[in-house]
Amino acid sequence: MRKDQLLPIFALLILFIACTSSLYVYASQATTDTLLVNKQYYTINQLFSFTKPRLLNDSNSMGIALDDLMVKTGVSHPEQHIYILKGVDGYEKTVTWENMKNGLLTKGRESIFLDLPKAFNVKNIVEIEVK
Amino acid sequence: MMNRKFIAGIIVFGSLWGFAECIIGSLLRDVNLPAGAIMTGIFAIGLMTLSRSSFKQPGMQTGIGLVAGALRFFNPFGGCFICSAIAIMAEGLLFDLIWTGFSLDLKKTQTITIQASLGITSTYLIYIGGYIITQILTPVFSSAGFYLENLIVFIPQILACGLLAALLGVATVPIVFSLKKLNIALQDPLYYPVTIGTSMFCWMFVIVNTIFILGI
Repeated sequence: MRKDQLLPIFALLILFIACTSSLYVYASQATTDTLLVNKQYYTINQLFSFTKPRLLNDSNSMGIALDDLMVKTGVSHPEQHIYILKGVDGYEKTVTWENMKNGLLTKGRESIFLDLPKAFNVKNIVEIEVK
Repeated sequence: MMNRKFIAGIIVFGSLWGFAECIIGSLLRDVNLPAGAIMTGIFAIGLMTLSRSSFKQPGMQTGIGLVAGALRFFNPFGGCFICSAIAIMAEGLLFDLIWTGFSLDLKKTQTITIQASLGITSTYLIYIGGYIITQILTPVFSSAGFYLENLIVFIPQILACGLLAALLGVATVPIVFSLKKLNIALQDPLYYPVTIGTSMFCWMFVIVNTIFILGI
């Protein structure tokens, strides 16, 4: 059997994997109005009420300072931890304290970092885990 | 002589792909369409299939991906341009490996079933492959570093989002093979002026567009 004759089998297998994954992703998505920050639930308005604002001139983005947010939510020795930002779709990125000092959380629950590529902009954040 | 023609081919196909990524891709992102899947499923797979079936030379698509990725790097707008540039380069390499792996250079004509299957297989694999590679390399090149668990939890999402690209690829590849049957080829005296002119237009357009947006 020539190798190219295997292509239809591969194609069917790929369609099966892609469809199954799509169903899984659709079934496992849940919407929530709260964010879990350092093991405590907050609404975005609550976070904005006690955290200092930050403006990133480069991207014209406004929000609250992620480093201040961590301090205000009770993280002690923040420089000794890493932070996992998790989106509602399962997308997550791990950043350092240095990155948090250059990052903000927008009202639309998106993370933006001055010193990191846009791949670190996690949309619809549902959790910020401290490790 | 063949080498010069081959290199000119890499540059023109890479420039066209990079141009499409920068200009059309940015427009698609602006209107919230899934630009990545559309660009891969139509432009990337179309141009790479056309170039490979024309030149039948392994390595060509890796070169095309490098040229297109370099051009995307010049256009720092519309999504994560570093990620896009890495993904484009990876897609070129993966297409090369898939085409060579299935020995598709050996046979001149493929049945419609093989063409459609090739469309699904190659489009899906280069799309999710590019996605995974960029998820690894982008953090590696940044100050945050790469964490495997970030990638693992997102794998189902990556596998799912390749579906649209695959469904576009199933149409694109047979269309390209049908166009090839028309035997449209550039006459030798026109080959270099057209390829060089097209490539220069793509690069100049993207660079001027970048300068214009930056307001320099």
